[in-house]
Amino acid sequence: MKRYSRELTVGGALVLLMISLAIFAPNFFDTQPMISRLASQMPALILALGVALVIITRQIDVSIGSQFGMCAVIAGTAAAAGVPMPLAMLCALVAGALMGAANGWLVAGLGLPSIVVTLATMVIWQEVLRLWQKGLLLSLPDGVQWFGMSQGTGQAMVIGSTLLILVLMAWAMKNLSSGRRIYATGSDAEAARLAGLAPKATTFWVFLLMGVLAGVGAALNLVQSPQIQPNSGEGLELKAIAAAVVGGIAITGGRGTLWGVLLGMMLLANVNPALTHFHQPPYWEKAIQGLVILLAVAADGIRIKKQKHLK
Amino acid sequence: MKQTGSIKALLVKHEMILLWVIAVEVILFQVLGQNFLTAGNVSNIFRHSAEIGLLALVMTPVILTGGIDLSVGSLMGLCAVVFGMLVKVYGLDPLVAAGLTVLVGALGGGLNAGLVAGMGLRPLIVTLGTFSLFRGLAEALTHGSKSYSGFSDGFLALGNSDILGVPAQIWIVLVVGIVIWFLVHHTTYGRSLRAIGYGEEGARYAGLPVKRNISITYVMAGAVAGLAAVILVSRLGEARANAGMGYELLAITAVVLGGVSIFGGAGNVSGAVLGWIALAILNNGLTRISDYEILGEKVSSVARELSGLLTGLLLIAALALAICMKMLAAKRSAKQT
Repeated sequence: MKRYSRELTVGGALVLLMISLAIFAPNFFDTQPMISRLASQMPALILALGVALVIITRQIDVSIGSQFGMCAVIAGTAAAAGVPMPLAMLCALVAGALMGAANGWLVAGLGLPSIVVTLATMVIWQEVLRLWQKGLLLSLPDGVQWFGMSQGTGQAMVIGSTLLILVLMAWAMKNLSSGRRIYATGSDAEAARLAGLAPKATTFWVFLLMGVLAGVGAALNLVQSPQIQPNSGEGLELKAIAAAVVGGIAITGGRGTLWGVLLGMMLLANVNPALTHFHQPPYWEKAIQGLVILLAVAADGIRIKKQKHLK
Repeated sequence: MKQTGSIKALLVKHEMILLWVIAVEVILFQVLGQNFLTAGNVSNIFRHSAEIGLLALVMTPVILTGGIDLSVGSLMGLCAVVFGMLVKVYGLDPLVAAGLTVLVGALGGGLNAGLVAGMGLRPLIVTLGTFSLFRGLAEALTHGSKSYSGFSDGFLALGNSDILGVPAQIWIVLVVGIVIWFLVHHTTYGRSLRAIGYGEEGARYAGLPVKRNISITYVMAGAVAGLAAVILVSRLGEARANAGMGYELLAITAVVLGGVSIFGGAGNVSGAVLGWIALAILNNGLTRISDYEILGEKVSSVARELSGLLTGLLLIAALALAICMKMLAAKRSAKQT
């Protein structure tokens, strides 16, 4: 029970939010808007799952929002040029993998601190995107929206594939040796190295996987609207990191579950819709997000202090 | 003894390299661009980068301790909005408002300090949280779009006039620079920052007031971010929530470019200043090139995007260079023994 205390707390908060919404703003649960909202939250959840792995290895990646934007525009441009849909999506994944590999090489290969490296790549991809798109909207061809299917099916596919990825990743983190390696690298890289676990390689692959997931998120975002904004990824990195940290991924590495990330994302993503349903202005989103990050990290700090005292 | 000698030699070398970089930049922009080395433009280079200079100066002590402050740009946004409200909504005198704004900045820095030093949390995630919090508060206060303008001429002069032929705000940068330089290089406090950056645990066992000294660096960073916000508002004549967006990256780049180790423990203020000047020249120089095109656009018309891109690349290059030099030095000392 104690091991999953964070998941339980966040889950409890989520239930409370939902109950109060059910009482005071029952139309929050109207089926169609709720499914649309859920589908629109899936890309951010994918990013949060990726960044959770990065944080578990005791690194950070703040470039994921820019990666997301790049992947979206690359796939969109390909689709607009007549490339078939599956191939266009593959383009997004490959582009993400390359950007992730660049981060991974700089962090794991050269041993540079990930916060500064990804801060730099965040700006680099963002400016490349600006130079390339000049801030213009990119219209997508007809077959792209909802994979060329009806909206209901498309939304089901977006939500379904995200949940599938979540289940697979959560299972792999628990049961595959590569998943355990990620935890080992984050909790003590030196011990992992001595145990022959190649923490550098693990770190590299985690960053690469992060890039691929940014591509997946971008692809799942792409199908939800007839056009894409080049700045579609701006601020997503903070949303993803916040969801991961709130969901119990310890910033000190080596600790947390992806189910917690799901709860964290559901809680955070519903703050803003909840605000509007409670007839509050939505300007507070970023401030609340920051506050929630600080609270989650502080709670972690207190937990660690307590453990030290017990020892 | 030998060790300190070789590290010193490296640092001196680093500053020489920066001077060369600056010289190459100047020559390049003078040849490729228009009206680069004119009195008016040189004064513009400094006028437009004064805020980043201030941030780089106070980021130096933070990074020396092995910390980082990602929230200074967002704090500038919050402080700019607070300043605008104090003057335009509450009708305070700009000087009083500026004082209060610096105080608000110090409080923001105090929040970072409390969480980092007081609770022992990692500065990277704390300041990432306050990065979001401060900007969010600025947006909430202005409802996302409102801005304050119409300040008095006397106040606007701070950002747009000269004193003794030098942009007025550069005098402020100079004063802050001297204070920081003195603190870092000529006080026990400054020595302790390096000791903390080199090994926090060791510094604590040596009896240094680690928590207090780390706290001071973050509070200073916050206060000066408030000051930078006032200067920015004065220069632009407008206070809005997006003030200072991305400035934290520029400040960190200047400091790292200046040879301050991102892992803490090594570096000096003069390097950070040179790093700032190199960045400032890059930002300005690109806007001066209108004869050449890139991707079908005049360089000057995409200068902002290009300089952002180059700043990112420079940051990575500087980091990689620092690591390579460290490896070389380690190899050399291994050979000697």
